[in-house]
Amino acid sequence: MPNPETLRFKSPEELKEEKIEKKIKERGPEGEILGGIVFEEEKAIDPETKEERTRRYIYIGNPYEERPIITKLETDASREEVEAIKREIIPMKESFEILEAMARTYKHRQPLLIEGSTAIGKTYLADKFTELLYGRGVKPLDVYCSGQTDVSELMAKWVPRVETEEEKRKWNEFVESLEAQEKISQIAQEIEQKEKLSQEQKLALIHTKLQELAKSAGLSEKTQWRFQYGAVPKAMGLIRNPDGSFSFDEQKGMGFIIHIEEVGLAEPQVINALLKLRGKRGQLAEEIQLWENGGRKVKAGPKFWVVFSTNPPEEYLARNEVDPALARGVVFKRMGELSEESLRLAADYYFTYKLSEKPKEKPEGCILDIYNYPEIGREIAKVVSIFHNELNKELKKGEKGRQQRIPLTLDDMARVADALIDTQIRNKETGLLDLNETLKKHIHFYYLDRLADEELKKTMEANLNELLEGVTGKIKFEGKILTRKEIFDTLVERASLTEDEKKKLEEEKKKEEEKKLRQAKFDVQDAIDSLLKNPKIPESVKRLLQE
Amino acid sequence: MDKEELNVFIRLLQKVRKQPNQTFDLGLIVKEPKSQIEVEKVFEEIKKVVDIERIVYDETIFDEDVIDKIVEAFQKNKWVFLEIKKDIDSPLLNQLKHLANYNSFQLIDYRGKDVFEMKMPENSRVIVFAERDFIENKISYPHFYRLFGPTLILQ
Repeated sequence: MPNPETLRFKSPEELKEEKIEKKIKERGPEGEILGGIVFEEEKAIDPETKEERTRRYIYIGNPYEERPIITKLETDASREEVEAIKREIIPMKESFEILEAMARTYKHRQPLLIEGSTAIGKTYLADKFTELLYGRGVKPLDVYCSGQTDVSELMAKWVPRVETEEEKRKWNEFVESLEAQEKISQIAQEIEQKEKLSQEQKLALIHTKLQELAKSAGLSEKTQWRFQYGAVPKAMGLIRNPDGSFSFDEQKGMGFIIHIEEVGLAEPQVINALLKLRGKRGQLAEEIQLWENGGRKVKAGPKFWVVFSTNPPEEYLARNEVDPALARGVVFKRMGELSEESLRLAADYYFTYKLSEKPKEKPEGCILDIYNYPEIGREIAKVVSIFHNELNKELKKGEKGRQQRIPLTLDDMARVADALIDTQIRNKETGLLDLNETLKKHIHFYYLDRLADEELKKTMEANLNELLEGVTGKIKFEGKILTRKEIFDTLVERASLTEDEKKKLEEEKKKEEEKKLRQAKFDVQDAIDSLLKNPKIPESVKRLLQE
Repeated sequence: MDKEELNVFIRLLQKVRKQPNQTFDLGLIVKEPKSQIEVEKVFEEIKKVVDIERIVYDETIFDEDVIDKIVEAFQKNKWVFLEIKKDIDSPLLNQLKHLANYNSFQLIDYRGKDVFEMKMPENSRVIVFAERDFIENKISYPHFYRLFGPTLILQ
């Protein structure tokens, strides 16, 4: 009996927390993750209109954790949309670690930086997180950094209103020159230093400088100029309209999500510009000042949030570590490699076609509708995940004779999975799908054809053959030790049977089992008979055996 | 040029949609240094199969013009054959990455819209053509190959 002194009543909040936590940690009959993201509706009185209205929320937590931190966020998405988005996320441990970090930092208006390898799903999860907040199909603003990224793309720039193609050509040529870039950056710097000037005086000075620029570019001195905001201020002041389009208000916009990718490739001046986003107490800045526009301020709306991402510096040549100042100003989430377990799980999802709608009719080029046979998909997944992992390890070392690197991503698996649906080869002897050969061809096309290192290509080809047909690739299947090719052949043959053949096979199987059972009974009876005839067995035991 | 390989390449570009977003791939054709096949010949062969427009990205053209041309080709439901002859600048690279990830364009302050979004039509695709040496020595973006799905190598 429980000690009455330790008994206590749970508050409604606590009971609700327990209910949500249970849903977050929910697992299916085979232990598969079903939780992680939970949708709930709540009724609340609007403080302004005093009317009751329903609000939608999502709860995000890491279902792999014993005591997950659960973050509640308001959403525009419907229950159906959230369920559909959930189905598109492979429930890998790493995915929930990233989603949890996104939810927590979004809630507290903290900028997040995720450093992780290519296959970890940074872009995809930023995309899904935005959809979870805004509904299906809504993408974040996305900026990809490279060595060529210019500060003006992110922040702002003045653009001349050119009338003719000739003027346009002159300006574009000029603006690409080093001289122009220096002059343009000098304008903002000069304005920043003229603290005593009023806003109007600063704008007048900018105007003069711009006319000088126009002259240098060979344009008329009377050229009109237009101020163009870059991706960052736009994201700060964006308003998402009911029809899904965007408008911008630099003072009253709600703000939106911006994903700045591959920030490790950005040049120092770009990083310096991004440092403007650092606000108080580790949060995002509430406003930024653009010197390009005379120091005018752009306010960050309440829904403005920045997520940066980058690949680990050791993964690529000529790649910078994340700038320490930027790293200090963000919540830095460093992810390891995708684990082998997660890779296997991803392969399983792709090759059993769990992530998208299966074709309603058998498409042209499809000999066997393998998407309807998860047992086949699971065997393919085992092969592809092993091969993917092995090749990835080799590619990380770098290919001979190549500057560019080819990191593998989960997209490579997705491609093979999709091609397997309707680009199939027939076994000329049996007339059935030759899954071994089909899989080999697709792996070759999507994984091996792009390798420049012939030696590596040959090694991986040999490894693939060994994995599929060799002795070392053999595994236990239904009590027998078989090659993957033999397993594929068995499964394909089974799946290719007609309904009548399947029934016949079932009957034969049943008969075979009954025969085995009968034989077992006879064996037991023979054993008993021999014991009964044995004079050394006591009579009491014999009586028991007879009973 | 192996026409069967080219046909497989086109067929896979037409048909393969990656789970879970159902996105199509961008295709890459790489000309190896020893290859004698001319770009014009490749383009003409593809043109026999699909309605395609050729755009040359070199020193004489600006990123915004290339983007305009791709947008126009998409508006006509055409494929795009983009021949890369100079290092890819940030505006075009951004849009190629958008196309690769979402099959759509996302442009700031474009055609009168604060955020211009355009989905690549179901019948359009983008094929990028470049020489191996050029990719290895002139393209500064280190993940160039990652933008593409099927790759056709001209030996």
